Amino acid sequence: MDNPLVQPDPGLFFWTILTFLTLVFLLKKFAWGPLLKALEERQETIRTALDDAEQAKQELTRLQNESAQIIAEARAEAQSIVTKSRAEAERVREDLKEKAKNEADAILKNAERQIHLETDRAVQQIRQEVVELSLNVASKLIRKNLTQEDNDALIQESLSQIESSRH
Amino acid sequence: MSAAQHAETAQHAGDHTENATHGAEEGFDAGTVIIEHVSNSSHDHPVLHLPHIEIAGIDFSITKHVMMMWLVAGFLFLIITMTTRRFLAQERPIPTGLMTGLEWLVQSIRDSIVLPNVGAKWVNTWTPVILTLFLFILMCNAVGLIPIFEVFGLVDRYVLGNGYSADSMINSVLHGGTTATANYNVTAALATITFFSIMIAGTMAHGFIHHWKNLVPPGLAWPVYILLIPIEFMGLFVKPFALTMRLAANMTGGHIAILSILSLVFIFTQVFESAALGVGVGFTVAVPLAVGISALEIIVVMVQAYVFTLLTSVFIGMAINVHH
Repeated sequence: MDNPLVQPDPGLFFWTILTFLTLVFLLKKFAWGPLLKALEERQETIRTALDDAEQAKQELTRLQNESAQIIAEARAEAQSIVTKSRAEAERVREDLKEKAKNEADAILKNAERQIHLETDRAVQQIRQEVVELSLNVASKLIRKNLTQEDNDALIQESLSQIESSRH
Repeated sequence: MSAAQHAETAQHAGDHTENATHGAEEGFDAGTVIIEHVSNSSHDHPVLHLPHIEIAGIDFSITKHVMMMWLVAGFLFLIITMTTRRFLAQERPIPTGLMTGLEWLVQSIRDSIVLPNVGAKWVNTWTPVILTLFLFILMCNAVGLIPIFEVFGLVDRYVLGNGYSADSMINSVLHGGTTATANYNVTAALATITFFSIMIAGTMAHGFIHHWKNLVPPGLAWPVYILLIPIEFMGLFVKPFALTMRLAANMTGGHIAILSILSLVFIFTQVFESAALGVGVGFTVAVPLAVGISALEIIVVMVQAYVFTLLTSVFIGMAINVHH
């Protein structure tokens, strides 16, 4: 065949294969190998970073929920403490009031009894003194007129009179 | 491509074509010129006059297609390695400049071409091969669209005044801005790489014997195998053959179309013996059309590189994940 377009050319065939294989070898060694590895590593880095960010976000949400829960719990506890202490104070106040009232009552009763006793004793004393005094006066007046028997009879009479007047 | 360069090319073609039918005079033979542009340089005039290497009757001279491949390979190696090294030397892996593009390319080829076909287990084994294949084919395709060597040749000849000499290296390079992937030998070699990649992938995944057993689905009646085994065996070679033809034909076709349309300039000049008419046709028809086809070629260049790469990874994936 004379047409140069379809001339078989083993030399060119050989050079093409040699050139191409050399190029593949060199590029794989110096460019494609390291480059593909670097791209894969970067892909991995991005994936890890995104995963980490997602995890951090979830962690943050969890912490937020937790803190909200803690705050709510604390608030409820404070509320219950306030309620409880208010009731306690009320109870203590009632107790004190009761005690004070009882004490006051006791003091009052005691005083009343004391007064009663003192009054009784004074009345008794006065009565005794009045009897003796009147007896003295009467005896002075009637010293000569009365005998001993009359005197005793009179005293007895007046005493029984007093007794009867008292009852 | 400039008109002056084409005129020169016509001369050159005339000088060097012994069997041109009507190129004996100082005429313009579009067919010869185009073929000369598209095809590899002849082994009698290699780009580098290395000692004539001939082993077992095979000529290993450095022709212009070999030189283009070396330039592409060297360019790719330098650019990619430098970009990657700079990226990896950074403390934090933030892509800047060229690296943004390279990273996009690497990731989209890995994730949308290799990974779905080959599977997660073997993705790191085959991504470097597929990436290199894609970039190598893409650059080889694309560099043919840039007439940079034609410009160098013109500067050498007309600005530096070196004139024309068949032996000067820059003159050999003058027609060097060709697409290596438009040569069937180059695409056949690349398809051979694909062929052996399929073998290696299957053998690595299933072991040598099991890989060959995977050629046909198990558990069929024996008459089916009589039909199926030859068909599947032929399929092994049809796949790389189709890759070879598709890439080379696409690359050749576009260039021939562009060159044919630009040849109109010289054909009109010659037929009507009026340079003004030729230039007029050039400005009104040939150049706008050639620009349009060049734009189309940019798409073809990318699509063909993509198709070759995609099919290679599909075939590799078929050898690894066998399901009939």
